[in-house]
Amino acid sequence: MVCHGEHTYLYSQIMLNILAQEPKGGSNIRRLCQELQKCANDKGLDVTPITLALSGAAAYPRACQALSSMLSRNALNPADITILYKMYNDSQYPPPPVDLIRVPSFLDLLIDALFKPHSHLNPEHKPKYIFLLSYAASVTEVYKKGVRKSINKDELKPTQQAMEKVQVLCAENKNSSELIGHVSTLFQCVKFPVIAIGVLKWVDDTVSDASYFKLNTDHTPHHLVLLDEITTNHLLLHQKALDLLTRLFESTFEDLDVLVRLELKKTVLDRMVHLFSRGCVMPVVNYIRKCQEKQDTDISLIRHFVSEVLDVIAPPYTAEFVNVFLPLIENDDITGTLRSEDGNDPVSEFICHCKANYIMT
Amino acid sequence: MASGDTALWLHNKLGSTDDLWSGKTICAQLTLEKLKNIHGCFHTLQPHVKVKLMLSFLHIPRRNVDMWKVDLEKILSMAINDTDQWVSMVGEILRPYPATGSLNLELEDNNNTFAEVLSDLRKLVKKTADVRMLPMECQFLNKTAMIATTGQQPQPIKHFALKRKPKSATLRAELLQKSTEVANNKKSN
Repeated sequence: MVCHGEHTYLYSQIMLNILAQEPKGGSNIRRLCQELQKCANDKGLDVTPITLALSGAAAYPRACQALSSMLSRNALNPADITILYKMYNDSQYPPPPVDLIRVPSFLDLLIDALFKPHSHLNPEHKPKYIFLLSYAASVTEVYKKGVRKSINKDELKPTQQAMEKVQVLCAENKNSSELIGHVSTLFQCVKFPVIAIGVLKWVDDTVSDASYFKLNTDHTPHHLVLLDEITTNHLLLHQKALDLLTRLFESTFEDLDVLVRLELKKTVLDRMVHLFSRGCVMPVVNYIRKCQEKQDTDISLIRHFVSEVLDVIAPPYTAEFVNVFLPLIENDDITGTLRSEDGNDPVSEFICHCKANYIMT
Repeated sequence: MASGDTALWLHNKLGSTDDLWSGKTICAQLTLEKLKNIHGCFHTLQPHVKVKLMLSFLHIPRRNVDMWKVDLEKILSMAINDTDQWVSMVGEILRPYPATGSLNLELEDNNNTFAEVLSDLRKLVKKTADVRMLPMECQFLNKTAMIATTGQQPQPIKHFALKRKPKSATLRAELLQKSTEVANNKKSN
């Protein structure tokens, strides 16, 4: 509806941009603006001029032009990156507002350039990409009545340094055994959200390679342990991580032996259990319920998930959780073999507890 | 080219009501002469052609906008006084564009309908403040920058108590230990 015509899009974005300034609930509207923009982009509509005109970029025409040429083409280029780098790294003139480069699609492009395996970034320009991405992630500005009062760059250097280290490790595309010596460095550095996104991207591309699991001999590949570390540190990346895990879980892995395939899927489920234990509860359980309902998943895998979960959880439970999880537990095909006759097993105990404390809907 | 020809040209280029995103297509052919002709024929154009013509301004390279500023503004001011509401609205939104490159967000005072819709929506926005749908760039931001942008985030709902850590914790510890050993070995070699 909004994308019906360029005029309806313009009108809606103007309205939403005004509403996004509301102190209460404004950030929800900002997200709405971005989703509309993404939807228009996906339809192949060129909305970049409207986006930039609304971003306050007009006061910085050179930066604006550099950014718009990259966003319209959906590709970065060294010349425009250099212009932005010089403007944000200028010691003489005040830099443009950080919001100008905090454009999700621009940040995604920088992440791809730096962390996608085989991206062939020119080493001469690489520091500029790292600088801009670190700047967008770390700098804060204080505004009073629309005028910028101060810029805080305290976290810029540490973010930049950590990104440099991790980017080199990812670019060398080390395999699991070569990575081992660098695990603690990686664990330290993925504490920065922006680096975690980069590593997630890199892990995603690495494990999506058809030969990855064929060549891997570890029970749990190190790339997947990195995923655990990312979800431990960043709530906001849970959905992205779950998307990757569901994709892996649903892969057919046709080249692998049946038993190896099952073991691998259990390893993926263990990552989901980890994600679940870190607060991504309902999305994970809902997904497993969906697998059970569709009846296209080996029942032993669902059993594995259920027993791993029962191992770590204790009451009090929320009714929402019990509602979705109890049907899995009560299903005889899944948990029949996990129960003992005397009722002293986690499955029976969970059922007993729920029956006594919750009214099922 | 006379203004009649320009009107015909615009009609041919932008007259279709099927494609409402076609403003950009005329940019490459816009010239100062054409803009001056449009001054004479703007009132004869169909409303949707007027709207698309103005939207094409957004796609003109900045250099040309600077050169044609006065002529673009003249067209916009005719549009602002147009009887068609879409034409006057788009004209009003684009009013500062030729001079500053930005759009007009102060529309409430001049347009009653806009003001009414906006005030209704404001109430709705306040009601949904606890939805916490974060702007997309938030996942990239360091904690300090994030708090500065959207404030403190609420903790996720606790659906259960954790009686022990999952197996992933052991795996993590083992891997870290192995990593330290390998790193130490490398140093001593």
